Amino acid sequence: MAIATHAGAPLTRTKSSQAKRRDFLAWIALHAVAIAMAIGFLAPLVFVLLTAFMTDQQALTKDLWPQTWQWQNFGAVFEKAPLLRYFGQSLTYSVLSTVGMLISSVPIAYGLARLKWKGRTWAFYLVIVAMMLPPQVIAVPMYVLWAKAGLTGTLWPLIIPNFFGDAFSIFLIRQFLISIPQSYIDAARIDGASELGILWRIVIPMAKPGLAAAALFMFLRTWNDYFGPLLYTGESPANWTLSVGLASFRSVHQVQWNLTMAATVLVMLPVIILFFFAQKSFIEGIKLSGVK
Amino acid sequence: MQKILPVAALGVAALIALSACSSGPSATGSKLAPLPKSSDKITLTVWSGFTDSDLAALNTTLAGFHTLHPNITITSEGSQDDDKISQAIRGGTAPDVAISGNANALGQYCSSGAFQDLAGYISRDKVDLSQIPLAVQKFTSYKGIRCAMPLLADDYGLYYNKELFAKAGITSPPKTMSELAKDAKKLTELNTDGSIKVAGFVPTIGFYNNRLDVWAPQWGAAWQSSAGKSSLGTSSGWTDMFAWQKSLTEFYGADKLTAFTSAAGQKYSADNSFQTGQIAMMFDGEFRTGFVDSQAPNLKYGTAPLPVADKLSAHYGGSDIGGNIIGIPKGAQHTGAAWQLIKYMSTQTAPLVTLANGLKNIPTTLDAIKSPDLVSSANFAPFLRIFANPNSSSLPSTPNGGAFLKTATDFAVKWQTGGTTDLSAGLSAADSEITSALALKAP
Amino acid sequence: MSPWIIGFGVFFVYPLLATVFLSFTSYDLISDPIWVGVKNYVFMFTSDPLVWTAIRNTTYLVVAITIGRVGYALASAMVLSKVRRGSGVFRTLFYLPALAPPVAAALAFVFLFNPGTGPVNQVLGWFGIKGLLWFNDPLLAKPALTVLALWASGEIMVILLAALLDVPTEYYEAAALDGAGSFTRFWHITLPTIAPVLTFAVINSIIVGLQYFTEAVVAGAVASGSSDAVGSGTQLGYPDNSTLTFPMWLYQQGFHYYNMGYASTMAIVLFIVSAIFTVILVRQLRKSGMTEED
Repeated sequence: MAIATHAGAPLTRTKSSQAKRRDFLAWIALHAVAIAMAIGFLAPLVFVLLTAFMTDQQALTKDLWPQTWQWQNFGAVFEKAPLLRYFGQSLTYSVLSTVGMLISSVPIAYGLARLKWKGRTWAFYLVIVAMMLPPQVIAVPMYVLWAKAGLTGTLWPLIIPNFFGDAFSIFLIRQFLISIPQSYIDAARIDGASELGILWRIVIPMAKPGLAAAALFMFLRTWNDYFGPLLYTGESPANWTLSVGLASFRSVHQVQWNLTMAATVLVMLPVIILFFFAQKSFIEGIKLSGVK
Repeated sequence: MQKILPVAALGVAALIALSACSSGPSATGSKLAPLPKSSDKITLTVWSGFTDSDLAALNTTLAGFHTLHPNITITSEGSQDDDKISQAIRGGTAPDVAISGNANALGQYCSSGAFQDLAGYISRDKVDLSQIPLAVQKFTSYKGIRCAMPLLADDYGLYYNKELFAKAGITSPPKTMSELAKDAKKLTELNTDGSIKVAGFVPTIGFYNNRLDVWAPQWGAAWQSSAGKSSLGTSSGWTDMFAWQKSLTEFYGADKLTAFTSAAGQKYSADNSFQTGQIAMMFDGEFRTGFVDSQAPNLKYGTAPLPVADKLSAHYGGSDIGGNIIGIPKGAQHTGAAWQLIKYMSTQTAPLVTLANGLKNIPTTLDAIKSPDLVSSANFAPFLRIFANPNSSSLPSTPNGGAFLKTATDFAVKWQTGGTTDLSAGLSAADSEITSALALKAP
Repeated sequence: MSPWIIGFGVFFVYPLLATVFLSFTSYDLISDPIWVGVKNYVFMFTSDPLVWTAIRNTTYLVVAITIGRVGYALASAMVLSKVRRGSGVFRTLFYLPALAPPVAAALAFVFLFNPGTGPVNQVLGWFGIKGLLWFNDPLLAKPALTVLALWASGEIMVILLAALLDVPTEYYEAAALDGAGSFTRFWHITLPTIAPVLTFAVINSIIVGLQYFTEAVVAGAVASGSSDAVGSGTQLGYPDNSTLTFPMWLYQQGFHYYNMGYASTMAIVLFIVSAIFTVILVRQLRKSGMTEED
């Protein structure tokens, strides 16, 4: 992603002052558009943050700037709803799912990317079909299955399947694995390493940035998931995740926009922090996929 | 492709497993669970939708049962609404006893088998159902299946502010809808900017307890024809009701009314607009007397039966009756003890009166209504009379529960927000929606 | 491979087959499924007025979200590809909203668009546009949801940006020598080169639109001001069913009314529609040689 961006750069040859002038105006226009877009992307977050600092009364007015900064709103949110427990549930869901995905999906992706077997192409297509399948399509029988197993009301119906492979992650990891030069693998094979040994000692270390990206996406997807936790834990508030808890926050605290927005900020925060910490591995993952 | 075949076979096998294992232990149709022996140590789980002081009142009553049967310990969980009960029954984590605040759901519970049929227990233990008023018996069974017992009832009346009445020179509460509209106009006061300061009566459906189930009987608007078909489009009470509602709305101006209702305090909070004197008259249940006592003890108010449509003046005095139901969900662990608790709660005078006093509801046996221990007051007494009035009725039970009520209310909201102007077409469309939704339920 | 075979069988093949089976039954998860033949299908096409409302809403959102998301993401990616100074900062800012949890984003947008005091109406007020009800107006609720989708279009933007940067510079240089204008260059060089990625972006957006659920559920519930639990179904589709999407109606039928047979019928329809677009994607993958090795 940090590749220099020369694609649209004007060609520098001998230029008349008029052409330079035109280029300068184009530069201004381009940056004006970029800044306007940036404001568009950023403004909602800023308004949310400002409202989160207002008093109850002020949040119901047209004011955009807090008169006094109500830091205690962020504390009050924790008294109004068991956010820490929701946080723990979300963390359980995301961490276990990510771990399960890594354990199960890496060998499958390796099989799809690197092992030659009949039907491999079709298996890959099936992964894509599974990846594109709206979750609602199979919701009814899955719910029935988990109800029979007595696990509805908990997050297990959402976690367990990830230990048996996740289509999107398999797809992503496969894309990384096919970029690893075959010569490394062949060399190891000549040295008499087993397929598992190759996977463990050669492929995984080389695919680390790719695995990190897949793990990051998995974590985000489960952290942000609402349909799954609503379906399985909607009637069991003790097992609510942050998404479900936040959705119910305002229905309980009717007109308290300030607290609702404070809760919204708190729910967004971990994701934003994660992004800034993981941005590097994220970008490296994309770079790796570019080296073909 | 050949890899897919064994997988598909696995899928089919699982499919067969699905249809096979769903036929687990079915409801106790033939075999009745015996009452527990006093030596059996049992822990019963009781779920209800109650919270706070209501839950405390229930727990007091449950403690009375524990005193009689020390071997049975009760775990009481509040905030368990119908959605939670339904999900728990399907997930196999149902409680032993479920109390639903929503008698509307009964048809669904009885027809699907979600609640167990109590008929066998009732005849075995010779429970006398005739001590339960007929209207109550009606809304606690579905097509002859009694899968729940009544546990307290609600009925509805007119609440009016006596000070505002005196100021406007009105001496007695209105008995017909025309009188109600006339009084409402007299009682309304505006601010200098033209917005509503005091509303005589708010005719917005969905506001506070302005619910269609409360309004409809007063207009003779029938939910179902005698053949059991949805009759919104054919029972003339509906069009009368919506026309009246519209004309009173126009008196205020729809915009002003919306501004007024969106600024009104929450229904059950201390700043309920009737309790603050900003609304002069409203329809509400008997339980409101309890809220006024604790939240606005200085309010000078009176209660009376709900007004009726002018041409129905002979039918004055009744209202819609609804209430709580108590039953044994499918999958309950201790059916025998659960029945023992239900029998105690729903037929014994002492627990019914204790609970009724706690919730400010109406007890559901004739003996309990007459009990000297039942705390009544000048404003509560009319509700006891409304309850006994022969014009009182209840909602029909359907296998879809109260889904018809939602469909009708959706239409009413659309009507009053100007989303539709063709009343009879809209009502007929709601009819066909209700009728076709029932077609989905198993034959 | 065996854990995956189990996973694939239990969590993919079985539910698909079971959905087909259940779609021909009446099932409430209490009694056994009862075979009712095509009754559910007949009901869907003849007697369920809300399913058509839901189909219309979902179609609207699929079209609006696809055009809006891909168009806006392409525009922002083109701007980013030309910006040199601070491109990293811009990229981060453009991408960040895509990470926001949908529930939080929906809450934020209902607040931003709230009719009385929301900043959006205040800004519009400066231009003389007054009193739009947005999430409370049956005509404007879906456009407001579309704006939310644009805001969160960063993921597509990143993918398109990578594709734009991959277009070989020589192509542009050659075209510039031929005297091609910027529009000609975009039309004849940029678009054909990034076409495969664009197809992916379009199909991805269609699938996102088809399963649109979270934002509509949360926005409808919050805007309705109802104190009932979100997702309990009482405010689903507020206002006036204008935000009731197909997956929401499926959810309501299956998990609140427990018409699980009928919900399965709806799931089959959803599956067929999404499968059509998936097949298009797979065909493109075959063409672009992603799986050429065997």
